[in-house]
Amino acid sequence: MNTAELKQMADRLRMTAVEMVYKGKDGHPGPALSIADIMAVLYFDEMRLDPSNPDWEDRDRFILSKGHACPIYYAALSERGYFGEKVKDFKLRALGSMFQGHPTMQKTKGVDMTSGSLGNGIAVACGMAIAGKYRKKDYYVYTIVGDGELQEGVCWEGINTAAAHKLDNLIVFADKNGWQSGGSVEDTIGSNNLKERFEAFGWHAQEINGHDIDAIKAAIAEAKKAAGKPSVIVCDCVKGKGLSFMENNNAWHKGVPSDEQYQTALKELGGAE
Amino acid sequence: MAGFKGTREAFAQALIDAAAQDDSIMFVSPDSLKAMRATKFAELHPDQYVEVGIAEQGAVDTAAGLAACGLKPVVGTYAGFMTMRACEQMRTFVAYPDLNVKFVGINSGLLGGEREGVTHQFYEDLGILSNIPNFTIFTPADAAQTYHAVRKALEIEGPVYVRAGSGREADVFDLDVPFSMDGITVLKEYGQDTLLLSSGFVLDRVLAAAEMLEKEGIHVTVGDVNILYGKNTEKLLKVISAFDRIVTVEDHNVNGGLGAYISKLVCEHEPKKVTRIGLTTFGESGPAKELADYYGFSPENISNTVKNGLK
Repeated sequence: MNTAELKQMADRLRMTAVEMVYKGKDGHPGPALSIADIMAVLYFDEMRLDPSNPDWEDRDRFILSKGHACPIYYAALSERGYFGEKVKDFKLRALGSMFQGHPTMQKTKGVDMTSGSLGNGIAVACGMAIAGKYRKKDYYVYTIVGDGELQEGVCWEGINTAAAHKLDNLIVFADKNGWQSGGSVEDTIGSNNLKERFEAFGWHAQEINGHDIDAIKAAIAEAKKAAGKPSVIVCDCVKGKGLSFMENNNAWHKGVPSDEQYQTALKELGGAE
Repeated sequence: MAGFKGTREAFAQALIDAAAQDDSIMFVSPDSLKAMRATKFAELHPDQYVEVGIAEQGAVDTAAGLAACGLKPVVGTYAGFMTMRACEQMRTFVAYPDLNVKFVGINSGLLGGEREGVTHQFYEDLGILSNIPNFTIFTPADAAQTYHAVRKALEIEGPVYVRAGSGREADVFDLDVPFSMDGITVLKEYGQDTLLLSSGFVLDRVLAAAEMLEKEGIHVTVGDVNILYGKNTEKLLKVISAFDRIVTVEDHNVNGGLGAYISKLVCEHEPKKVTRIGLTTFGESGPAKELADYYGFSPENISNTVKNGLK
């Protein structure tokens, strides 16, 4: 897809995610919208996938470490064809639904790893990346973590492991939207200097605008050149990006749009197809 | 097969022997290579040794990632550093997705961590794991059984926990006796006065108690329960059904392990009196034998408990 198409796809994913939360009457729309552009690039441009063969051993892997943002993940998988026809009603978080409150690999095709308990994605991704190297596979492992999530100690266990094992087949996106459940990252626990921290752990680190499709693509290309080092792409993002009433408003960490807000979303995001 | 110095050496040999036929086996080490006596495995299979440093949660996560890509990781370290510090990772990232990760927890029980004291003695591990679906829990009774338990764990699908010690385990089984998947092995059948059930490395003490009782004219039967909360309870229920009184002995808290398991089975199938010998407090440092005797695992105390139950 070209840049314009990917931008359009990102907004389509946003709208699908908002609709999912609106209809399901529960979920985390703000964190989902924050990463829509990264998801669009990964699932519609970058990753080597075969939706008809979700367990293909040579596929690129993806872990949504900040699993609460899963509406955007489910939207991407649906658009990409993992469920055959695009899903019309996800029944997010409903009893018996394959779309659980947090991603569950046993229930949802295309989900490579269960997630949602914050902090674990990077260390799990290390295992996938080590497996790839051991089996001499050329796949990449991608992970999206939140900036709040990076306060979890186990993140840094994985970050240490990745550097020690020179996992240059691992690319982490750090969604630096500046917010976490209880408030701003800065107010909660101080500095959000992610790039410097990853660099200090021996990672190849870049910082970009996480809503700039071309910058995301370029950063991935750059990350793939960093031989012998895992890569982090710190993405400056806006929580709730794309919806005027949601942007940078942490009340939307978790929340359900009203009928009126849903209509606004349809206008601002162009409507889900 | 040569004998083993202890359960850790048995684990390492099982890992080496299994890996000779299976290149999907990976050993994930949170700086536990030496503690698990697995240095030779790492020399033989450097690409199958994954060091993560002192980081148990990261180790379990990394193992989950390896398993999700079709490999067969084994995480081995101190029982509590896995089942407590990395409990959530064992639950959410291994058990919930039912991934094929094996865990070997050393220093289990008082005997496992004797001199180290409470920080390195773990008598809660079974209680924790017995509450997590999809886990298979093996409690081998000695080093030879640990060898076979690890081999068996690597043969079956899904998460398995093997409870191991630290070298204070007395040998009971012959080296070539396979790890029974029946869940119970009856070792002595002197009579029907009481069924003495043992789990783990107290089996020699339970057998000694049975001998003492026999000399006093009390005829008991001794069974080694080597799988806790397993799916196959047929043989265990059959053995239990023949007795009016049961005494369980385990180097674990009385809650969550063998005693709780047997009590549950008895309540559900055929109510009868179960007396549990196990820990109800924290332990402390000390020489293995003295410590085990002090905390209730002496053959004398086991024998007296049986006698009291018969009064």
